[in-house]
Amino acid sequence: MKLYSLSVLYKGETKAALLKAAYDVSSFSFFQRSSVQEFMTFTSQLIVERSEKGSRASVKEQEYLCHVYVRNDSLSGVVIADNEYPSRVAFTLLEKVLDEFSKQVDRIDWPVGSPSTINYTALDSYLSRYQNPREADPMMKVQAELDETKIILARKQNSCCEIM
Amino acid sequence: MAESTEEVAVLVQRVVKDINNAFKRNPHIDEIGLIPCPEARYNRSPIVLVENKLGVESWCVKFLLPYVHNKLLLYRQRKQRLNKDELIDVTCTLLLLNPDFTTAWNVRKELILSGTLNPIKDLHLGKLALTKFPKSPETWIHRRWVLQQLIQENSLPTFVKKESLATFPMERVQRLVQEEIEVCGEAAGRYPSNYNAWSHRIWVLQHLAKLDMKILLDELSSTKHWASMHVSDHSGFHYRQFLLKSLISQTVTDSAVLEQNPLVSEHISDLPKDDDEDTSAEHHRVVDLSHLLEEEVEFSTDLIDNYPGHETLWCHRRHVFYLQHHLNSKLPHCLMRLSPMDSSGGTLNDLHLSPAVTQMTQAMDVDGLNDSNEQGYSQETKRLKRTPAQDSLGIEMEHRFIEQILSTCRNVEQARFANAYRKWLVTLSQ
Repeated sequence: MKLYSLSVLYKGETKAALLKAAYDVSSFSFFQRSSVQEFMTFTSQLIVERSEKGSRASVKEQEYLCHVYVRNDSLSGVVIADNEYPSRVAFTLLEKVLDEFSKQVDRIDWPVGSPSTINYTALDSYLSRYQNPREADPMMKVQAELDETKIILARKQNSCCEIM
Repeated sequence: MAESTEEVAVLVQRVVKDINNAFKRNPHIDEIGLIPCPEARYNRSPIVLVENKLGVESWCVKFLLPYVHNKLLLYRQRKQRLNKDELIDVTCTLLLLNPDFTTAWNVRKELILSGTLNPIKDLHLGKLALTKFPKSPETWIHRRWVLQQLIQENSLPTFVKKESLATFPMERVQRLVQEEIEVCGEAAGRYPSNYNAWSHRIWVLQHLAKLDMKILLDELSSTKHWASMHVSDHSGFHYRQFLLKSLISQTVTDSAVLEQNPLVSEHISDLPKDDDEDTSAEHHRVVDLSHLLEEEVEFSTDLIDNYPGHETLWCHRRHVFYLQHHLNSKLPHCLMRLSPMDSSGGTLNDLHLSPAVTQMTQAMDVDGLNDSNEQGYSQETKRLKRTPAQDSLGIEMEHRFIEQILSTCRNVEQARFANAYRKWLVTLSQ
């Protein structure tokens, strides 16, 4: 039951911009880690680009499950986890993080931001705390009513991930 | 671009030497890996050593592997001589690239038997290979061979200190057991439901630790957190089922001895042995089995509630409930002297759950509980069983549990598993 990455992005008109990300690739073999991390960055962006505003979804990509939440104001979050990690908790985490992020970082900085310019430092500790879902969230229940959550099965064609 | 035979030979010699030197330079290497690198850059060695991790650049593998593979085969066919050091280096290189190459392990077996190679080195090499190939069957098989060599009394005079004619020193065995458990744990973490790693762990408990009760109990508690963080790892939960079954069988074996001791009271858990018992090394612990099983059911409930939709958890629940059910409903048939569960067939066979009750009885035989060896009623067996009324209460509680799940869950899979479990319970009470 693992979380691999937690990212905050902004869904622009044509592209998604990465604002901040945290990774935990320690469970991968040493020499794979940098390429795995690159893959996760790329996948998170791609998923946000292909998701509608105001939606939540869980997308299966290879052996990972990517949980994405795109808010109506285009602020988006992606959690990449394994298939054991409960999706309820992943969405709770995303809700929480985006809420906090929107209070700490000015809206005006979102469309033009990048990890080096954005000042939000809580992602690493969230990622680490939520590795054990029960320690992080003793109730482990999503409070808010969810929009329809779809599980999208992605078939990997050739080398790039084709989602839908 | 084609490499000439001489160029390849030179390259390979260099790489094999680099690997050897890397181990000499850093005896704490704890992981190996392949570095995706399609082309050689400059004139650099493809062997990379970073922070105790040994990497091989992928471009060289297509030259390296066929060459050393061929070299070893030629040696085997007596067409080429290799001295002991060359053999050690070549097999080491080969096994780090492909640990399922049985011939290489067998060459090392010969080196060990002739006293040229320290068997501990093979444990270390195997551990490294498992960091990249955590399932590798041949690595686990060879590992068991080495361990068997190490614990045998008269083998390997060069490397095993012959203490006396006594059996292998207990602390050394304990250390081996702990080390093996660690290796299994790591391999289990590197690959989901790593059957080979968990089977090896079972083998270690049976053949090195001799199903010592304290170790069984320790393992039960120390794997609990891991299991809760790997709720789809069927092999991990099967291990817990093995531990519980072994505790049951060991308790029954001990109960015959404890029968004679009237000081043993009804509900005790984990007492140290009395002074007036025999002074053998064997610890006769009285384990409250029903309590352990109840705890395991609670554990299962907790996980099923919090992590909906994992078939492994429901399978585990069946096994545990069946053990509880079997413990009390089939007496006096079910608590009996057990033959040692040492056959490899016995460990690796899962409890075959099928609807027919008669088939279930046979399934228990497969696991080593032999119906034909009955023990008479003893104080212990009475203490361990629940009354028939409590048993049907147990089934009723399970049905209520299923109802509760079905009425609150939103997960389609969870509902499916709950329904299947309900059907299974019905067949159980027939």
